[in-house]
Amino acid sequence: MKSRIAVTGLGLVTPIGEGRQEVWEGLLAGRSGFAPVESFDTRGFSAHLGAEVRGFDPAPWVRRQDPAALGRASQLAIAAARQALDDAGLDPEALEPERAGVAMGTTSGEPREVERFDDKYLAGELEQVGDEFMGLYPCHMIAAHVARELGFAGDNTMIPTACAAGNYAIAHAVDVLRAGRADVMLAGGADSFSRITYTGFARLGAIAPERCQPFDRNRKGMIPGEGAAVLVLEPLERALARGARVYAELAGYGLSCDAHHMTAAHPEGDGAARAMQRALADAGAVPADVSYISAHGTGTPTNDRLETLAVKRVFGAAAKNTPMSSIKSMIGHTMGAASAIEAAVCALAVALDRIPPTMNLEEPEEDLDYVPNTARDLRVVLAMNNAYAFGGNNASVILRKHEA
Amino acid sequence: MALENRRRVVITGAGCLSCLADSPGGLHAALVAGHSGLKAIELFSTDAIGCHQAGEIRPFDAQAYLPDRNLRPIDRTSRLLLVAAGKALAASGRPLEVAERDDGEIGLVLGTTFCSLRTIAEFDRRNLQLGPSYASPLDFANSVINAAAGQAAIWFGLRGLNSTISAGAASGLAAVGYATDQIRGGRANALLAGGAEELCFESFFGHYQAGRLCGSAGNRNEEKGEVPIPFDARRNGFALAEGAALMMLEDAAAAAERGAPVLAEVLGHGSGFDPLGTPESAARAVARAIRLALEEAGLGPLDVDALSAGANGSVDADRWEAAGVAAALGARAEILPVTAVKSMLGEALGASGGLQLVALLGTLEDGVLPGILGLEQTEEGFPFPGASPNARRLPGHRGSGAVTALATTLSADGHAWAVLLGSWRGSA
Repeated sequence: MKSRIAVTGLGLVTPIGEGRQEVWEGLLAGRSGFAPVESFDTRGFSAHLGAEVRGFDPAPWVRRQDPAALGRASQLAIAAARQALDDAGLDPEALEPERAGVAMGTTSGEPREVERFDDKYLAGELEQVGDEFMGLYPCHMIAAHVARELGFAGDNTMIPTACAAGNYAIAHAVDVLRAGRADVMLAGGADSFSRITYTGFARLGAIAPERCQPFDRNRKGMIPGEGAAVLVLEPLERALARGARVYAELAGYGLSCDAHHMTAAHPEGDGAARAMQRALADAGAVPADVSYISAHGTGTPTNDRLETLAVKRVFGAAAKNTPMSSIKSMIGHTMGAASAIEAAVCALAVALDRIPPTMNLEEPEEDLDYVPNTARDLRVVLAMNNAYAFGGNNASVILRKHEA
Repeated sequence: MALENRRRVVITGAGCLSCLADSPGGLHAALVAGHSGLKAIELFSTDAIGCHQAGEIRPFDAQAYLPDRNLRPIDRTSRLLLVAAGKALAASGRPLEVAERDDGEIGLVLGTTFCSLRTIAEFDRRNLQLGPSYASPLDFANSVINAAAGQAAIWFGLRGLNSTISAGAASGLAAVGYATDQIRGGRANALLAGGAEELCFESFFGHYQAGRLCGSAGNRNEEKGEVPIPFDARRNGFALAEGAALMMLEDAAAAAERGAPVLAEVLGHGSGFDPLGTPESAARAVARAIRLALEEAGLGPLDVDALSAGANGSVDADRWEAAGVAAALGARAEILPVTAVKSMLGEALGASGGLQLVALLGTLEDGVLPGILGLEQTEEGFPFPGASPNARRLPGHRGSGAVTALATTLSADGHAWAVLLGSWRGSA
């Protein structure tokens, strides 16, 4: 019998707001986080929209370290981590340090530090690059900075599996807890808005010019974003013993690899389907049990078509009756943070019995229920969170309603 | 789960590339002979940098190892990985065609710090110099930190779970620990695990500026030169290196069923993190990692026959790692044979943990542990009187000839990991 894992706290920093309340209300209202990019000059690009986190102030969150001496993804991650602990009613100082761990995912780590390096390199000013570069840049510094901030001495793992990384980090935290190596795990993802990432997606022709329209036949692409989300995970028994509010149980996960193409999904949705099947088996569930699917749903022509295909393969006749929406239509693609944010949203959907819509959906390309443009009241017993990434890395995570 | 009921994890093949040798056997022989792979860098100019030696793989002709396939879209880190992974697959006796079948699904857990920092930086610089339309989409695909793992999955048809773990010098041990969990948990039967890292200007320069390389920044000493000798009182930083080392980890029962060669068993693993950056906190992290590894194995300090330390010549981290090992193993540390292979291999970051473990496979086979090349004087309070510059034969484990060996690493940023390997005894 596998031990049960509870989700007891949620922290979010997104392009449409900070904190679970603000983000949840924004998603139900269909709020958009898109605006012309401010963090660098997009002249020379064919695209100009981004989903940046505006007005973020790390000072209230980063207390034990100098906020200015941390990369932006680390700042965002620490804000989400402290929110999540507050939300769970846990005081980090009161936890046993060696029994508290951190698992974080990312796509690019702290790319702004490389960008700074490159600016100096091209200006012939490499002598101005100091010891901060290696102290800040490596992606594992995100998990390290979170743990330093909170004094956590348990398992500390950074999983840079690109745009599915948040789900990978949550999956790893489940394993650490089930192995009895921690009492509390913070699990999530973080990425900062980046010139490198933006350039790459622009070169792939993947950035939408005006809005993000997942599953619409006229969709024109994704919109790069930034953000962070952290979930507090703990053994269910321990959570109940301390009287914690349980948003949901983390019921299972499934991982797979397409082994097909670096940037394009498998043409038959093979890896995506296997990840979903494994997650279902791990959760002891069948497709008909799933109340809601949180789609990867980037808004690119290929992702959405193959994702629909994969869901149909796994769900069969149940596919049409299973609502599936993409919040990327509102907050954009927050890269390594995306599936962590979506997992937090699944936890809220399970707890509150409402699901967020897919915005900007006017002409659905396929016949699934994409929850177009309006949030919906729905009893959510089981939510499946799907995420796909460069490198063919697929991850599905399942959250289940906790019933006492 | 009770020890007797859980799935056991064995190593059925290994492959590596390093500045010393391109095979596990060759690596063990070179380490035992006390050869150094450190030399003046030729990959890039070090003129502007006050430090010049590294563990560079030279020559590295990936095409010679991987004929008949187009390597153009594959960068240096991925090439290193492909070569080592191919060797590990072949050594494990799993023909690559098996990977194409559903029932033969193989996955990959890769430890790396940067994947390719060079690819990332060059992609960005091309955009800055020529404009976004000249930045290469091919390079962008390789700019994600899981790119090498993705390329290897495509190359070999590895459709099982595919994960990338970053923890600096501890990445490789972390990857093996992660893979062990996955197999024990029944989520995979066969996983390649280990690490890969390339040497490039950007990371070399960065480590130099951070004072982590020999004779650099904080502890520059022209007269002394570069002294990357682990645990030696004269040490003044590490020599950066590159490489790749992968092992095929399998469920013991599945391996036995197909009659696979078994090189060793992964007995346990553990980790800890130093959130404070103090000597005590760092030692606690290392001690916790070792304690968890021993607990998982159901073993105690007296069962450990040899230690492969991750020490690389760093002034603080070497001392802290030693203190952590001593705290976890107690009196056992005083008679423990110890090696630190980075005295010969340098600090290959993501590849280091894999290289430590692959080297230990040789020790498990013939009972000979390499020395710590160049070790002459240790500091007061140094806890391993058993450390020596020369290789030595282990006394053996309870007369059976079986060996239990511990690999540890404390990264520069506070990640501690421990993996316990043992000779394969008995059936699954």
